[in-house]
Parts: sequence; structure tokens; C-alpha cells
Amino acid sequence: LVRGDAVVGAKFSGQAALTARLMMYVLIAIVLMAMDHRGQYVPRLRAWADYLVEPVYHVVEWPLRALRGTWSYFQSSQSMLRKNKDLADQLLAQQSRLQRLESMEQENQRLRALLDGSGRLEIDYQFAELVDVDLDPFSHRVMIDRGQDRDVEIGQAVIDGAGVVGQVEEVGLHFSRVRLITDPNHALPVQISRTGQRTVAFGLGNTSRLSLPNLPREADVREGDLLVTSGLGQRFPGGYPVAVIESVDRSEGRMFAEAMARPLAALDRGRELLLLKNPTPQPLPSLDDAASTNPEEPDSVAPAAGQDEPQAAAGEPATDDNTADPSTADEAPVEEAINSEPAADDTTADPSAAGETSVDEAASSEPPTDAAVDEEPPADNSNEDEGQQQ
Amino acid sequence: VMMTPTRDRLGPVITSLLVALVLSIIPLPEVVEPLRPYWVALVLIFWCLETQGIITLGAAFLLGLGLDLLTGSLLGMHALGLVILTYLVTRFRPRLRFFPPWQQALSVLALLVNDRIIVVWIVSLRGDSLPSASYWLAPVIGMLVWPWLFLLLDRYRGAARQRAHS
Repeated sequence: LVRGDAVVGAKFSGQAALTARLMMYVLIAIVLMAMDHRGQYVPRLRAWADYLVEPVYHVVEWPLRALRGTWSYFQSSQSMLRKNKDLADQLLAQQSRLQRLESMEQENQRLRALLDGSGRLEIDYQFAELVDVDLDPFSHRVMIDRGQDRDVEIGQAVIDGAGVVGQVEEVGLHFSRVRLITDPNHALPVQISRTGQRTVAFGLGNTSRLSLPNLPREADVREGDLLVTSGLGQRFPGGYPVAVIESVDRSEGRMFAEAMARPLAALDRGRELLLLKNPTPQPLPSLDDAASTNPEEPDSVAPAAGQDEPQAAAGEPATDDNTADPSTADEAPVEEAINSEPAADDTTADPSAAGETSVDEAASSEPPTDAAVDEEPPADNSNEDEGQQQ
Repeated sequence: VMMTPTRDRLGPVITSLLVALVLSIIPLPEVVEPLRPYWVALVLIFWCLETQGIITLGAAFLLGLGLDLLTGSLLGMHALGLVILTYLVTRFRPRLRFFPPWQQALSVLALLVNDRIIVVWIVSLRGDSLPSASYWLAPVIGMLVWPWLFLLLDRYRGAARQRAHS
């Protein structure tokens, strides 16, 4: 039969056969694309086939790496020394800051223990370096030089020194592909660190902009506000800086205000990246837990109700005084508690109280990672606020 | 009897296509990145015009799949484009071969633009953002590159053939 086919094929090897074969391949291609788009079967096939093309990445990568190596070899020792000194200075500064944070962290840990919440999750980091290849220009993705061999997993968050970069999308043997937060198909749950307002940041296909298209019109958002990950959606641990608000558009005739933000991470030029190891999902304090702790502390309800209000009503500047914004309540009180120990009892009740007042609030106190990593931004915040007052 | 593609005929084809694959992912600065010529298509057009029986639709399809994997694009996107491109070149091969160089370059431009239209169509179906205007400059760059690439590959083929015969 096969031989018969070949004979027939030879006889009809004119235009008609060519067109017929064209149709066949077009059909196969369309089916493949549809399946790949829907994530049926093809992704698995892809993961396997990626091994075949990996050597090409090595071919591209190797000379560039060698070139960079040689370049750094020939850099004058003078500039190296200068750089070294700069880095040492930087390290010292960071370390002194870290010391303070560490004591705060212990404090926080202790308070959480008092609260009966589960302990904070240690987040592990893993270094990765960008691989110099240009992928499909229609999506914002980059390659990194860690793959299955280093236990990289799909969905891991990727950050750099300044902010969130993206998430691992495909894992190869020695490489992984990372979708950047600026990819037009990427949405990142974020929180405005000054007010606690939660929203979603969408990529626009431009490495210097993120869009926040669905803020309430009356939301308290300003230029210069810091966006941090909110920890919702479980992909990104909360509290990592993402972007800074650049402009807010509240033009008439729109349902929502739209804000534009500039990502903090060096998306188009950074080389060194950190992969956050997904903390093994420990039993998160669920909504029920948060609610159940409430009846024991009825006196906490009043302040909580007070907190909930301003967030919806777009905090007046008046609410800005000493304790930062009330809607950041789930973080701010902890801050305060650290400063003055005796206050601990009142304030630690707050997050759980917030959990009762609205589902939204509860969600914030839900992932332990959220608050655990959140220490830093509020610290900055309160400083800012003080600065404004003075 | 049609000659079977021997090793010395296949060698240059495979090598040049591999080089084209590498060139299509080598990093470029963000500004010039949209201007990158479609190297794989250009090299494919050359071999499709200059040899017979090597660049079949199936070969083009596989090459496209390879490119899809390499660039991490939707599987089948480049494959579809390259199959259609190969079909057109094969179909009009007798005419294209004897065009004067400038006319051939214009045909190459038409082929590349056609390919980009297919890609944009797929991308828009998928809901990705449409590319910037400079995206349409790449085929023009491809056209400008074509005569030089043609000379280069022709020389390369001649050298490879000589080496095989000596």
C-alpha cells in the first residue's frame, strides 16, 4: 500500500499535489496553534521538544558570555577597585538596615505567635542570570540560565534588586523562560503601599509601563505611590515592590480611574535575577480561622470598622496623620507595636478583626507571607508621612 | 531519475539554516530588534530557488516548528508562515529564478510582507498586542539584505561544491 501511495504521489506531483500538501500542513499548523493556545497536550510536547533546541541557546550564549568575561578581565584594576569599594559601602549600609529589620522580624514573629497565627514562611532565594537571546517579539519574555537541573518550577516569582520582574513560565533542562510583568498578557495583583488599596497591574508590552485600569474613581492614588505585590493569587509573595505610580487619569466619562506606573525592576537591562523558591504551601489561616478568633476579642471590632471605612471612602488627607493610613491597618499597627511593646495586645488583634469586617480585608491577612515580608514598605511609609508633616 | 539529495548538497543547506536560526535569536538592542530581518525565511527562499527536492513543504514545516520552539512562540506560527512561503516560491520558481535582481528583491519583499500579515493575523486572533509600526520595516530590511545574502550563499555553495569534488 505504501508503495502504491508513492507511485500515485509521483504521478500527481504537479501543482495539485503541491496545493494538497500545502492544505494539509496549514491544517496541521492551525490545529497545533489552537491546541497550544488552549494548553491541550502541546505544552507537554513542547517541554519535551525544548530539549532538542537547547543546544542552540548554548551556541548563542557561549560566545557572548566569553566576550563579557574577557571584557571584565581587561577592565582596569582602578575601576574594579572603585566598584569594589562602592559595593562594600553599599553592603555596609544595607547590613545596618538589615540588623534593624531582623530585630523587627523577631518582634513580628513573636507577635504573630501571640496571635496564634502560623509562623512566617522563610522564603528561599536562588540566583539566576539572564540569557542573552531574543524571544518572540510579541510577548515580553526572557530566558534565565536555571532550569530543571536546579529545580526551577513553573510559577516561581522572579525579582531583581529593585522589584518584581516576572514569573517562570516554561522550564527546560538548563534554561527557563520568564514572562515579564510588562507582558500584555500578564496581570499582577498589587497593593498601593500607602493606602493598602488593592488592584491589578497589567502589562502593556512596554518595558517601562504598567497599567492599573480599574481603580475606583475616588481612590486615593497619587503620583509617586509605591505599588507592592499584594500576595493575592498565591503566585507572588506579598510585599515586594513592583512599580511607582507615574500618572493617574480620572477623566470624566470613565467608570474607573486608570493609573500608569513605572516598574522598578530593571526589566530591559538587568542581568542578575533572584528566583523566589515557592514556600511549600503551609496551611494558611483560612477565612474561618480569622473569623473565629474574633469573638474572643470583641473590643477589636470597633477600630477595625473604623479602618474599613476610609479605604472605601478614599482616605482624606486628614487621615494621613501619625499612624499612616488606617487602611494599611494590617501592617501599620504591627509597626507601632514594635516601637512600643505594651501596645502589642491591642494592635495585634487588628488583622484578625479586619478579617471579620470584609472578605477583602481577610484575604490580606490570609497568606502569612504577606505580612511577613510587608515590614519594609510600611516602614518607609511612616517615614514619608513624618516627612510630610514636618 | 531524480537524483537523491546527497550529503554534499545537503551540507550547506543545513549549515546555513542553522546559522539563520542562531541569527534570529541573537540579542539585539531593543531599538533595532523589530528591524531584524527574517533570516530563516531569506535563507529558505534562496535554497528553494537554487535547489530542487531539498526544500519541501515538510522541511519548511519542521524548520518553522524549530523556530517556534526556539523563540518560544505559539507552536505552528512560524511553521505556517514558512510552509506558505515555500509553497509560493516553489509554485513561481521558474519565473522567480529568471527575474532580474531588483525584481527578485521586490518579490522577496512581497513574500516577507505576506508572511508578516499572516503573523499579525495569528497574533491578533490570540489577543496579543499588535506590534509597532517599525515591525513593518523588517521586510524592507530583508529586501535590502537579499541581493547580498544571495551572493554570499551562492559563493558558499560554490565553495562547498568544489570542496566536495576535489
